[in-house]
Amino acid sequence: MLRRLTLVRVAVGLSLAAALAVTVAAARRPARVSADLESGKAQLKSAGALAFGPDGVLFVGDSIGGEVVALDTNDHTAPPSAAKIDVQGVDVKIAALVGVTPDQIMINDLKVNPISKNVYLSASRGRGPDAMPLIARVNSAGQVSLLSLDNIPHNSVALTDAPAADASARRNPRMMTITDMNYVNGNLLVAGLSNEEWSSALRSIPFPFKKAAEGATLQIWHSSHGKYETQAPVRTFVPYSISGQQYILAAYTCTPLVKIPVSELQPGAKVKGETIADLGSGNQPLDMVPYHKNGHDYILIANTSLGMLKLRADNLSTYKPIESPTVTDVAGVPYDKLGNFKDVQQLAQLDSSDAVILTGKPGSGPPWAPGPAIGPLNLQTIALP
Amino acid sequence: MGMTATAAPVSVELEGGAFKVLGWNPPRSEPAKGWASIFAVYTGSGDVPPLLGHYSIEAGALVFRPSYPLAPGVNYRAVIRPPGGGTPVEKIFDGTPRRNTPSARVERVYPTADILPSNQLRLYIYFSASMSRGEAGQHIHMLDEHGKVLPGVFLPGEELWDPSFQRLTMTLDPGRIKRGLTSNEKMGPPIVEGKRYVLVIDRDWPDARGVRMLEGFRKAFRGGPADRNPPNPKQWKITAPAVGTSEPITLRFPEPMNYPLLQRMLHVTGTQGIVAGTVSIDKQETEWRLTPQEPWKAGGYQLVVDTALEDLAGNHIGQAFDIDVFQRVTEHIASNTISLPFVVR
Repeated sequence: MLRRLTLVRVAVGLSLAAALAVTVAAARRPARVSADLESGKAQLKSAGALAFGPDGVLFVGDSIGGEVVALDTNDHTAPPSAAKIDVQGVDVKIAALVGVTPDQIMINDLKVNPISKNVYLSASRGRGPDAMPLIARVNSAGQVSLLSLDNIPHNSVALTDAPAADASARRNPRMMTITDMNYVNGNLLVAGLSNEEWSSALRSIPFPFKKAAEGATLQIWHSSHGKYETQAPVRTFVPYSISGQQYILAAYTCTPLVKIPVSELQPGAKVKGETIADLGSGNQPLDMVPYHKNGHDYILIANTSLGMLKLRADNLSTYKPIESPTVTDVAGVPYDKLGNFKDVQQLAQLDSSDAVILTGKPGSGPPWAPGPAIGPLNLQTIALP
Repeated sequence: MGMTATAAPVSVELEGGAFKVLGWNPPRSEPAKGWASIFAVYTGSGDVPPLLGHYSIEAGALVFRPSYPLAPGVNYRAVIRPPGGGTPVEKIFDGTPRRNTPSARVERVYPTADILPSNQLRLYIYFSASMSRGEAGQHIHMLDEHGKVLPGVFLPGEELWDPSFQRLTMTLDPGRIKRGLTSNEKMGPPIVEGKRYVLVIDRDWPDARGVRMLEGFRKAFRGGPADRNPPNPKQWKITAPAVGTSEPITLRFPEPMNYPLLQRMLHVTGTQGIVAGTVSIDKQETEWRLTPQEPWKAGGYQLVVDTALEDLAGNHIGQAFDIDVFQRVTEHIASNTISLPFVVR
């Protein structure tokens, strides 16, 4: 079963939040949220995990800067018709825009603006600490452009406690890597991993952002077979509704898929995820997209070594949590392996019937750790299977 | 608008990171299709967009300044397309050469002990220079006692760097460490008690400039028993300094502790507040010392320790990495501390 999730990049994505999140947000939104953002230069130090909020607001996880930045993409016009995106070598095009060789472009996350259906990619220009953050936009015509950060309505919220004000200390080496974000019910949920201590937390931050101190921090735990409990950092997650109740489906760094009721995500809470699927060892979920098709519920999962998986998610509430030791390698909710999608690095929901994938050949490392995909990286629309 | 003939042929020069069109007098205003329709700079080949940047007219010449700095090892192709048609003029510029002199090396790896518990959770690798990310899986290997590379030891794809990219945190697969999980039951822990291992870091790992390291790194160690006990402060030993001296206060642990956390999770307070000084860690992370900036004054002090301080297996004060009873509690997560009193005489 479980084996952690292999992410091919520091920050990863997951995508589906968009449609769900915005639907929820729209119901409670009194006015355009962008009115709460201030114009000016967005001081991003890195661009990792992405999530869309209301009104085309794009949240960018800046792990090096220790904050999340909300950007008004000013991209909230619905397309006249659904478009199929097909861009070969999107990394090559981004490299050409910023004047580097394609091997110096690392794509960190992929999300679709739920309103405009334009595709957004976070990327790095370079591979070291001085890498420059990039937010690329791909429109339905396949044109690649960069979102200018020089003068854009934005706001940010700090994620880390301020380091001790010790002028003699070296640069603070502590860093929280933001692994995934989703906007749910007016809150931005942020999962992160510390590069020092194991204990880590999921943060719930109300948007529009107020002060850094606001927002709930909670511990996420994992239970194995009802006997052992471990603090379990969340690696990738997605909002999901089961029988009218809002959940998040999460993949831990070390364990399978779990469901957590959003109602339990309260400040200071110690929350235990309930295992619903165990995908076997030697693989890691990258991104998840829940969808409904022909009267059935599914979750499409991009996976490092199993390829694309289609989880049959009807009646997810009826599956009993996996609490007994798994004799077989796979347990829980049934799934199918889809052989026709190869080398998927990123997956994001486009609309109710389509998704966008980023594909590229795995890196040159050993099978269990191939490293970042070798370009060219291709972006394409697929029908949800 | 037309191309104004001049005595010299049209050409381009690159100076100070800006591309300047020589031998052509541009119109006063930007053409309808933009300056890029006349003059653009490309990197790469094939159907790629031109470099992003800004155009200006300076001293009667059209100048293009790229939005991003010129990069080493990249060729730039400047293309002038005469507005009235005609053969485009191209000029290729070599970017600054890539530097290729190695300078980086692995300075140290924590824990430094020769015996690591079979549920060792993380390794901290300190480099002398900033490194490239995305390379760890290919360049960090664990060998068994026969020199065979062991698969699935680390969480693949997970590279947790510090902001300077000089310290890398690698997590051993927690699915193999946590009791009761399939990976743990099928594959066993990544480290087995009694077995010998070598951690190998390849010289070919590129630094942030893309240059390989000066040398590789090897650390041999042996697997020890699993450590599933939270650190117990009652077993720690404080050696108090003498009054009037600048001797360090010393705290000794019966087991190695997490090096980065030792750096920041302990401090000393006295009646004057926090004692400023220099922290040093020794004896394979079993000894923590604080050498004060000012000589010690007589009186009572507290050695304050964050309960999040971990040992090598991720157990922290009051709580093991995997505990075998779950009690649902609702509590505010705060930076809880314990205080260990000592007296300076």
